[in-house]
Amino acid sequence: MELWRKARVAVRKKIAFFILLGWVLLIIGDRVDELRVYQGAQIAMYTIALASIVLLTGYSGQVSLGNGAMMAVGGYSAALTLNNLQTPIWFAFLMAILVSALFGSLLGAAAARLAGPYLAGTTLALAVGLPAIANQFSFLGGEPGLLFDVGFPPESFGEEFTQYKWFFWIAGVIALIALFITSNILQSRFGRTWRAIRGNSLAAELAGIHSARMKVLAFTISSALAGLAGAVLAMNISLVAPGAYSLALSFSLVTGAVLAGVSSLPGVVLGGFILVGIPEIADALAGSLGGADKFNNYLPGLITSVLLILSVIYTPNGPGENIRKHLGKKHA
Amino acid sequence: MQKVIETLLIGLTTGSIYALMSLAIVLVWRSTRVINFAQAGQAMFATYIGFEISSRSEVFWLGLLFAVVGGALLGAGVDYFFMRVLFKHANSGPAAVVAPVIATLGLLGLIRSIVGLSWGGEFKTIKSPVSTDGYTLGSTTIPFSALNAVIIITVSIILIALAILFQRTNLGLALRASAYAPEIAKLAGIRTAQTRTIGWAIAGGVGGVAGMLVTANNFLSPYSLDLLLVFGFIAAVIGGLESMVGAVIGALVLGIGLTIILNYVGTSLIFIGGFVVLIVVLLVKPDGIMAKGKGRRA
Amino acid sequence: MIGKTRRKRTWFVAAVLATGSLLATALPANAETGVTSSEIKLGITLPLTGAASAGYNKIGNAMNAYFKYVNDNGGVYGRKINLIQKNDEYSPQLAIAKTNELILKDKVFALVGPLGTATYTAVHKSVGIARRGVPSLFLNTGFSGFANKKNFPTSFTVLPSYAMEAKIVSQFIKENLAGKKLGLVYQNDEFGIDALGAFKAAGVKFDVTIPYTSGTQSPATAQTWVSQLAAGGAQVVVFFGVTSATGALLGVAAAAKYAPQWILGSVGSDPLTLRVLGVPTAVLNGAYTLAGNPSPNDTTDEYVKQFQEINTKYNAGTAFDDYVLQGMNLGLMTVQALRAAGQNLTRKKLISAMETKGSTFASVAYSPLGYSKTSNVGHTGYYMAVMDATGDRKPFGGSVVLYTTDSGSGPVVKSTFKRPAMPAKGLPTNS
Repeated sequence: MELWRKARVAVRKKIAFFILLGWVLLIIGDRVDELRVYQGAQIAMYTIALASIVLLTGYSGQVSLGNGAMMAVGGYSAALTLNNLQTPIWFAFLMAILVSALFGSLLGAAAARLAGPYLAGTTLALAVGLPAIANQFSFLGGEPGLLFDVGFPPESFGEEFTQYKWFFWIAGVIALIALFITSNILQSRFGRTWRAIRGNSLAAELAGIHSARMKVLAFTISSALAGLAGAVLAMNISLVAPGAYSLALSFSLVTGAVLAGVSSLPGVVLGGFILVGIPEIADALAGSLGGADKFNNYLPGLITSVLLILSVIYTPNGPGENIRKHLGKKHA
Repeated sequence: MQKVIETLLIGLTTGSIYALMSLAIVLVWRSTRVINFAQAGQAMFATYIGFEISSRSEVFWLGLLFAVVGGALLGAGVDYFFMRVLFKHANSGPAAVVAPVIATLGLLGLIRSIVGLSWGGEFKTIKSPVSTDGYTLGSTTIPFSALNAVIIITVSIILIALAILFQRTNLGLALRASAYAPEIAKLAGIRTAQTRTIGWAIAGGVGGVAGMLVTANNFLSPYSLDLLLVFGFIAAVIGGLESMVGAVIGALVLGIGLTIILNYVGTSLIFIGGFVVLIVVLLVKPDGIMAKGKGRRA
Repeated sequence: MIGKTRRKRTWFVAAVLATGSLLATALPANAETGVTSSEIKLGITLPLTGAASAGYNKIGNAMNAYFKYVNDNGGVYGRKINLIQKNDEYSPQLAIAKTNELILKDKVFALVGPLGTATYTAVHKSVGIARRGVPSLFLNTGFSGFANKKNFPTSFTVLPSYAMEAKIVSQFIKENLAGKKLGLVYQNDEFGIDALGAFKAAGVKFDVTIPYTSGTQSPATAQTWVSQLAAGGAQVVVFFGVTSATGALLGVAAAAKYAPQWILGSVGSDPLTLRVLGVPTAVLNGAYTLAGNPSPNDTTDEYVKQFQEINTKYNAGTAFDDYVLQGMNLGLMTVQALRAAGQNLTRKKLISAMETKGSTFASVAYSPLGYSKTSNVGHTGYYMAVMDATGDRKPFGGSVVLYTTDSGSGPVVKSTFKRPAMPAKGLPTNS
C-alpha cells in the first residue's frame, strides 16, 4: 500500500521533470540560430538511438552492433508509409516503431541462443547487410534513397518559424516521450530482470526467470526505439538512404553509448551531445590546422577513436561511475 | 556448367583470403578472448607498407614480405601496449562485456585515421605479380586467372605452415596451452604474456598477407579492407571461433556461398547473404560449425 | 533511494548542459549572407575521398587556384573570393550535412559547382536551397531533371544533360555504327537512368543492358559486367558511370581480352585519371567519348593555354587534365557571374545576372550557353572525340563537329556556334 502511493508520487515527479525539460527546450529553441536548432534535432535523435543501446547492452547485456540496421528499418518504414499511403506524420512514426519492433523480435528470437562474439558477429552482419537491400529493390529507392518530407510548420506559426525548428520541436517531443517511457521500463521489474540476466544468466534461470523470453523482449523494445530514432533521422535530413544507416552509424552509436555510460539512461543526453559535438570540434581543429583535405577527412575519426579508447580504458562504465567512485572516496 | 565451375573457383579464391583473416581473428580470440575488430585495420596498415615497398621496388613479393613483417610488428605492439593496459583497467561493471569490443573498434578507427592522414584517401593500386587474364580453354575464357591460382597456393602454404607450427613445435604447444589453460601453462613454465604477444604477431602477419593478396589488382584505400573485416569475422564465427580448422572451413563456406549469391542472385544482396549464411549456421549450431557439443567456454 | 537522487541529478546536469551550450552560441541575423566589403564566401560539396572521388577531387582545388589568381589581380570589385570545400564522399546524406554546414555555419553567399546527381537532389530538398534563395551555380552534374526552372529556381546547370548526351550518342551510332550489337553499362540511379530514357526515346536498342549500384564498382564486380557483355556478343559498349567505374571496367576487359568499341560518357572518361587507375593506354586507344571542351593538352587553344599557366603557378603539383580544366572554367564563369551582379552584391542580383547575362559568358566549352529568364540550362552540346595511343583526345573525323540538342524531344543538329574569346590574361572585365 505504501509502495503504491510512493510509486505514484515518483512517477508524478518524473512527469513534472520531463515537462520542465520540455519547457526549457522550447525556450532554447527560440533563442538560438538555425544551425543549433538543427543540431538540437540531431541530438534528440541520438538520445533515442542511444537509449536503445542502453536498454539492450547496458541492461540486458546483449552486445549488438546492428542498431543502425534497426534504425534503417524504422526510417524506411516511415518513409514508405508516408510516401505511399499519404498518412499523417505521427502514423508514419508509429509504423516505424511497430515494424522495427517486429523485426527486432524476429532478430531476438534468432539471436536468443547466441552470446558474446557470436551475437556481435550476427548483428554486425545485419548492420552491413540490411541497408544494402535498398539497392536491390527499386521501390526502396536504391543508393540515392527516398525523400521523406514531413512538410512545413503550420502557417499560424509565422514566417520566422523555420523548418529546422519544426523538426526540433517534433524530435524533441518524441525524444522526451520515448525517454520517459524507457525510463519507466528500466526502473520496473523488467529492468531488474534484465540486469539479473546480464549478471548471471544461470542464476537468473534458477530464480525462475525465462531468460530467452526476456532477451527477446529486450531486443523488441530496443529495436522499437532504434526504429523510432531512424524515423526521426529521416525527418531531419528529409531522406532515407542506405548510406545514412551505414556500419559507421552503428559503430558511432556504440561509441556514444560507451562514452556516456552504457548502462545509464540519463547519459544518453550527454552521448547525443558528444556525437553531434565531435564533428564540430574536429572541424574547428582542422580549420585551425590549415584546412588541408587530409585533416578535414580524417581528423574527426582520429578524435573519436582516441576519445573512445581513452574512455574505454579509464571510464569503461561512463563518467558517472568515476564521479561516484570519487564521491565515495570522499565519504570513506 | 561453366558458370558452376567459375563460381566454385572464384568462391575458393575469395574464401581463401577470408580464411587468412578469420584465422587471424580466431588466433587472437583463442589467446586473448577478445574479438579484434582492428585486425583488418592492422592488415590495412601492413598493406600500405607493402604498397610503399612494392611500388618502389616494383616487386610484389618484396612488398608482401614487408607487409608480413610490418603486420607482425604492429600486432605485437598492439598487444603489448594496448591490450595489456586495457585489461588492467576495464574489467568490471556492465562494460566488461563490451569494453574489449569497443576498444578494438576504437583502435580500428585510430589506425584508419592515421593511415588517412599519412597517405591520403585517394585510391592506390598494387600491381599484381602475375597476370590477371583469365585462363582460356578453347574458345571460352573463365575469370580465373594466374593471380587467383597464386592466392590459393599462397594461402595453402601458409595454412600448412601454421598447422605445422601449432601441432609440431614447442612454440605451437605453448601457444595452444596459453590459450586453452593459461594458469596451468604458467605452472608449466610457459611465459603466457610473451606467448600471447607472439600469437598477436602471427595474426598480424597473416593479416598482412591477406591484405596484400586482396589488394593486388584492386583499389587500396583506408576503407578498402572493410569487406575483409566483416566477412573475415563472419567466417570465423561460422567456423566456431574455437578452432583454426573451423576458421578455414567457415571462410570457404562463406566465400563460395557469397559467390553463388553474387553470380546467381544479385550484387547488392551479398551482404545480407552473408548475414543469412551466418544466421542459418548459428541457428543449427550456435557455437559454429566446428563446435564440439554443448558448453560454451565463456 | 540514493540511486534515484543520483539519477535525477544526472538528468538535471544534462538539462543544464543543454541550455548552456545551445544558448552560448545564439547569433544575431546577418546582412547579405556571405558578402563583406572585402570577401565573398562560396561553398562547394564534392567527393574528395571515396569510391567516386578519382579525378573529381581535383575540381575544387582547380577552382580555388583560379580564384586565387583573380584575388591577386584585384578580386571581384575589390572583394576576395573565399572558396570553402567540403567532402561529401558522393553520398547523399553526407552532402546534406556538409551543405547545412556551408549554409548555416559558414554562411556562404552561394554554392558553386556542387557535384553529383543523387547528392544534389537530396541537398536541394533537404536543405531547402530554393526556399532559402541560395544561388547554386554550375552544378557538376548532367541530370536533366535539374534543368527545370520551376522546381530549381535558384540552380543553374552547366554541363549538357545526360539525356542530351544520350541523344547525341544515339545519333552517332545511327550514323557510324549501324547494325552492330550494342551493350550498355550504367550507374543505376538518376544519373544513368537519365541517359537510359533518352536512348529509349531515340529508338536505340541495346542487346545487353547492365545497371550497377553506385559505389559497388570494383574490378570484382566489373568482372561480372564483362562476362555478361562478352556472353551477349556486344560489339559496341556504351558506358555511363563515374571515372573509377570506367577504370574498373576497362581494366578488367583488357585482362579478359574483350575489346569492343567503347563509347564512354563524358563525366567518366578522363584519360589521365584512367591511367592512374591502372587502365593500359593500349585499351584507351580508339575509344570514343563525347566531349564538350578541347583536349586539356591542346595548347593551341587560348583557354587551355591560359589555364595551364594559372595551374602551374597556383596549383603546382597537380597535373593538368580534364578535371582541372573543368574546375578552372567554372571559376572563370563564376567570376563573370559575380561581376555581372554588380558591386552591390546580393543573392537575388546574382540570380538575375545569370538569367539576363549568363548566356554571353566566356567558357572553354564549344557549345552555346542556354541561360535565360525561363531556362537554367548551361551548355547544350558535345562533339565526338577519339582517344589515341598516348591517351590524348582528338576530334572524331579530324575536326570538331559540334552537335547541339535539348533534354526533351528536340532534334540533334550540327551547330556552327563560335565561342566568345577568352578575356585577356583570363581576367574577366564584364559587368
